[in-house]
Amino acid sequence: MTTALRSRIDTLFATKVAELGGSPEFEGLVRGTATATDYDRFIEGVMRTHLRSPQLVAFLYALAPPAVLDHLLANLLEELGRDEPSGIAHPALLRELAIGAGLGSQLPTLETEATAELTRLIVEPLLYGTLRDVGLAALGEIVAFEYMLARVAGPVARALGRHLSLDPGAVAWFTHHAEVDRGHAAEGLAALEAHVAHYGVPEEDALTILELALSPNPFLKRYFGVVGRPIGRPIGRSTERPAGLRRAVAEGAS
Amino acid sequence: MRLVSGTVYALSIPFVEAFAHSAAGRTRCDSVVVRVVDDAGTEGFGEGVARPYVTGETVPGVIDHLGRVLWPALVDRELVCLRSEADLYALDAAIPGREVAGWIADGASRAALELAIVDCALRRQKWSLGRLLKPRRHRLVYSGVIPEASTEETRRRARQMKLVGLGQIKVKLGGGDDVERIRAVRETVGPEVSLRVDANGAWTPARALAVLRAIAPFAIAAVEQPLGRGPIDDLRRLKDASPIPIMVDESLVTLADAEALIAGRAADYFNVRVSKHGGLARSLEIARWAGEVGIGVQIGCHVGETAILSAAGRHLAAALDEVLFVEGSYGSLLLAEDVAAEAVRFGHGGVAPVLTGPGLGIQVLEERLRRLAHTIVELGSNGGSSCLRS
Repeated sequence: MTTALRSRIDTLFATKVAELGGSPEFEGLVRGTATATDYDRFIEGVMRTHLRSPQLVAFLYALAPPAVLDHLLANLLEELGRDEPSGIAHPALLRELAIGAGLGSQLPTLETEATAELTRLIVEPLLYGTLRDVGLAALGEIVAFEYMLARVAGPVARALGRHLSLDPGAVAWFTHHAEVDRGHAAEGLAALEAHVAHYGVPEEDALTILELALSPNPFLKRYFGVVGRPIGRPIGRSTERPAGLRRAVAEGAS
Repeated sequence: MRLVSGTVYALSIPFVEAFAHSAAGRTRCDSVVVRVVDDAGTEGFGEGVARPYVTGETVPGVIDHLGRVLWPALVDRELVCLRSEADLYALDAAIPGREVAGWIADGASRAALELAIVDCALRRQKWSLGRLLKPRRHRLVYSGVIPEASTEETRRRARQMKLVGLGQIKVKLGGGDDVERIRAVRETVGPEVSLRVDANGAWTPARALAVLRAIAPFAIAAVEQPLGRGPIDDLRRLKDASPIPIMVDESLVTLADAEALIAGRAADYFNVRVSKHGGLARSLEIARWAGEVGIGVQIGCHVGETAILSAAGRHLAAALDEVLFVEGSYGSLLLAEDVAAEAVRFGHGGVAPVLTGPGLGIQVLEERLRRLAHTIVELGSNGGSSCLRS
C-alpha cells in the first residue's frame, strides 16, 4: 500500500468519524441533551454492534496474511479476555454496560438481535467474488470502528458517567477501547496495508471496497439507526422536461 | 377460498442513500402493502408503488381506492383456486376495473391486492408461485442502476458496480452532462459491461436525438423513456432516427398502451413492471404479447420496492421465454430495512436464485410492517375500512 492510499484511507475514516461527531444524535449524547430513551437506544445499538465482535475478528484471523497474524491473534485473545490472566471478555464488559444502564432485562433480546445480525451477514449473498475482497471489506469496517473508538470512546464514557451516573465498571467497555484502540487503529491500518499488498488488491479497488463498506456511515447506522443522508445532486435541473412532468414534480410527485 | 380480512400498510422505510433521477428524488420507500387473510386463516402479502408520474396514483389515493372500490368487490366472495396461469387471468378479471379521475390506471392498487391474493391462495395450497409460472431459468442476473449524479459521483458508482461484478448497468440521464457521464462510466467499467440509459421522459425529441447520437459511440444497449408519455408518432419518429434501441416505460402502463405501441411500431423494447401494470396477470400478458411480436422485454422495478415486489418480479422474469434485462432485488443495498425474513437482494455479478418457497417465496414479517408503516387501515369483512394509524 502506498503512502497515498494509506493517507486516503485515513481521510476516509476521519471523515466518517467527523460525520458521527457532528451529528445531532452524538452531540446530544455527549452534551447531555439527549433523552433517556436516546441513551437507551444508543447503548442497545452499541450492544448489537459489538456483542459478536470476537466471531468477526476470528474470521479476519483466518484470512490474515503472515505479516499481521500475530496482531490479529492478540486482538482476538483480547476480545475473548484471554490475553492476560485477569482479562475480561469484551462481550462481558458490554453486558456490564447494559446492566449498569438499567437495560439488564433487555439482554436476552439484545443477544438474540446480535446473533440475528451475524446470521444476516452470513446468509446474505456476497457482493464480492473473492474472500480477498469480502475480507478487506470486513477488515475495513472493524478497523474503522477501532479508529473511531480511539477518538470518541473516552468522551462517551465520561458523558455516560456524567449524564446517566454510570459507574466506572459499567463504562469499562468504553474506557478500555479509548485506551487500547489507539494502538489497535494504527495496527489495523497496518493490517489493511498487509492485506492489500499480500493479496494484490489494486489500490483503487481497495479504496472503493472500503468506501462501500463504510457507506452509509456505519457508526451512525449501527449506534443511532441513522441512514439516508443524501449524496446525489438536486433534481430538476433540465430545462427541457415536459410541462406535465414539471408540474408533477412541483406537486411533490416522485 | 374467501377473503375475510385485510390490512393496508403505507410504509416509510429510509433508503441507505438518496436516489435521484430526472423526474424525482427519493429518500424513502413509500410502498403500500396489503395483507389479506382467508377463511382458513392463511395470510398473503402484496405490494404496490404509487407514482403520480407513472400511473397517476398517490399513496392516499391507493389506500382510498383499495378500501372503497377493490376490497368491497372481493371480500367474502368465493375466489378462484390458482392451479394454472389461466387462473391468474381469472383472478385479474375478478378485480373490478374502474377508471379514477386523474389517473392513467390503478396499477399499484391492483398489484398490491392481486399479489396478496396470489400469495395467500398459493400458501393455502402449499404451492410456490414457480409451480404456476414455471421458471425457464434457475437464476436471474440483475442490473445495477446509477442515479442522476455528478460525473465524479457517477464514476465512483460505476467503479463500485464493476467490483460487485455487475455485467449490466443502467444510467439515469437527463442533465446537461449526460455525454460526459456516459463517457466516465464506459471508461470505468470497460467494454464488456452492457450499458443502457434512462431519461425518465426528460428530453424533447430534438434533445433526445442529439444526446443519443452523442452517446451511441459508447455502445449503449437501449435508451429507456427518452420522451415523456405522449403521442406515439413522436416516439416512432425518434425510434426510426435513433442509433440506439428505444425502450418504453412511462408510455407503457395499460394493455391499451401496449396495443398502441405495438400497432404504431414505436418501441424496440418494453419495460414491464408488476406494480405499474396492476399485477402479475397483466404484466405477464404484456410481456408475452411483446415476445410474440418481437419486442424485447425488461422486467423493471420501482425505486424502493420491498422484498414483496422483488419476489414477484423475480418469478415473472424467470417464467418468460426471453428477458433482456432484470432490475430490482436491491434489498439492503437500498433499504435500511426490508419487510421479509429472507434476504432477497442479488449477490456478486447481480446473480440471484429463483425463489422456491410457498406463495411468493418469502416470509413477510407483519410486526415489521406495523413498525415501518405511517398509516395502517383495516379492511373489514363487511367491505368497510377503518384507519388504525395515520
